[in-house]
Amino acid sequence: MILQLMVNALVVPLLLMGVIRKAKALMQTRRGAPVWQPFYDIARLLKKGETISEKAGWVFVWAPRIGLVVALAAAILAPWSGAPLPPFGGATNYLLVLYLMALARFVAMLAAMDTGSAFGGLGASRDATISLLVEPVMVIGLGALALAAGSTDLSVIYSAPVNPVVAALVGVTLLIAALAELSRMPVDDPTTHLELTMVHEAMILENSGRNLALTEYAAALRTCVLLGLAAQTLLRAAPGFPLLSGGARYAVGLAALFAVGGLVAVAEGVLVRLKWRGIPSFLAYSAGLSLLAALLAVLKG
Amino acid sequence: MHLSTQEYIAGTAAVLAVWMCGLTQVRLALRGLAAQTALLAVATAALGLERHAPYELLLAAVVLVVKAGAIPAYLAWAAGRLDIRRDAGALLSPTLSMLAGLGLLATGFFLAPRFATPASGHAGMAGMALALVFSGMLLMLTRRLALSQLIGFLVMENGIFLYSLTQTAGMPMIVEMGVVFDVLVGVLVAGLVIFRLNRSFEHIDVTQLRGLRN
Repeated sequence: MILQLMVNALVVPLLLMGVIRKAKALMQTRRGAPVWQPFYDIARLLKKGETISEKAGWVFVWAPRIGLVVALAAAILAPWSGAPLPPFGGATNYLLVLYLMALARFVAMLAAMDTGSAFGGLGASRDATISLLVEPVMVIGLGALALAAGSTDLSVIYSAPVNPVVAALVGVTLLIAALAELSRMPVDDPTTHLELTMVHEAMILENSGRNLALTEYAAALRTCVLLGLAAQTLLRAAPGFPLLSGGARYAVGLAALFAVGGLVAVAEGVLVRLKWRGIPSFLAYSAGLSLLAALLAVLKG
Repeated sequence: MHLSTQEYIAGTAAVLAVWMCGLTQVRLALRGLAAQTALLAVATAALGLERHAPYELLLAAVVLVVKAGAIPAYLAWAAGRLDIRRDAGALLSPTLSMLAGLGLLATGFFLAPRFATPASGHAGMAGMALALVFSGMLLMLTRRLALSQLIGFLVMENGIFLYSLTQTAGMPMIVEMGVVFDVLVGVLVAGLVIFRLNRSFEHIDVTQLRGLRN
């Protein structure tokens, strides 16, 4: 179990980023960087020197470290890979995990505003708007599963039997919410070069060296947790999956995680970015699905 | 409450009605109406097989041809003739109206068990039928164009059809058929009225018809 935790925390997140980038390159008929390129990137950034704006204070230096610790805690507490959760009693509560993710976003926004750069403030304000829209969706979506399982403990939620329709609805909801939360394609273009349209990139424009390495690593961890939760929820709609246990469950879980990553890359290949004012209606669909799932969960009793 | 397959089919129709509340494109709304009515026809056929009532299979076929085929096609043709593409919505924005529709769906479900019904079985269907009626009403209230209000009326009619089919021991065939053809004639007449409206005012925006008062 310790080994699984180490692999989950150190290898899978960066590998997932590499796979998403590779799949995206293939979608654009480029050869793309090898899948382990993010490991090299992080190692290179860790060796490089750092440039810090003279306007920046201690928040800018500490925010990436706090963000990384919070993201690691969320990655340990959430059942995103199919590995059994550590026995931390009530700490594996779904609200705790969701609000740890929100805390990571909050410190990232503080750091973006701290540098005094105009783009940082712009990105932070957009990020705050999107997270405001995503938060109810995720709380209601996972809440529907919690209602069906009769507990807010994630280890119970992801082992209790559940109506496959509810699981499928919540899985799609979480996937859409994850796209918005992670600043992915229909909501934000992660490879844009125009600062005025950036969300996540505008926030980390001032980071460099070790600071940037920590930020990127925390972002990879958050991607893993959110896409992994969506993949695990979708898997529960598949017949036969709840019967698996141990290594087979872990292997299927990781395969599903990378498949969802590939799906995100395909979406980035074929979709165009939404207009900023179109994002609320896009997320309203996901809110609608989560409410529907909650209704079904309530009716089933 | 455990939902049966027929109830899932009818539930999908109700969800389609809620989705239609959030649409601005008239053509897409018409496709939603056609898909929803086709789903109701499938549910009717499945119920007919379950109750061993052959006339319900016939009814399903008539509903499929007339209400899911002819009426949406006629309305799409009318929309094409009048060059109507988008309905921006009035009173509530389409996104909010979709979320309100979900609220009505839940309301329908929680209200449905309060009505006494003669038929047993498929208790969930009453909720779906009420949800269809409510969403149809919401569509009529929150749309701007006369054509969209006609679509809302048809959604409401679908709800009443589903309720009468599932919550009674079964209506006489002649009544059901009569209702279907009544709706057909009603839609044809309403289509003519829309053409007339368009000729007189050069638009079919009902929010601007208040100017006629003086």
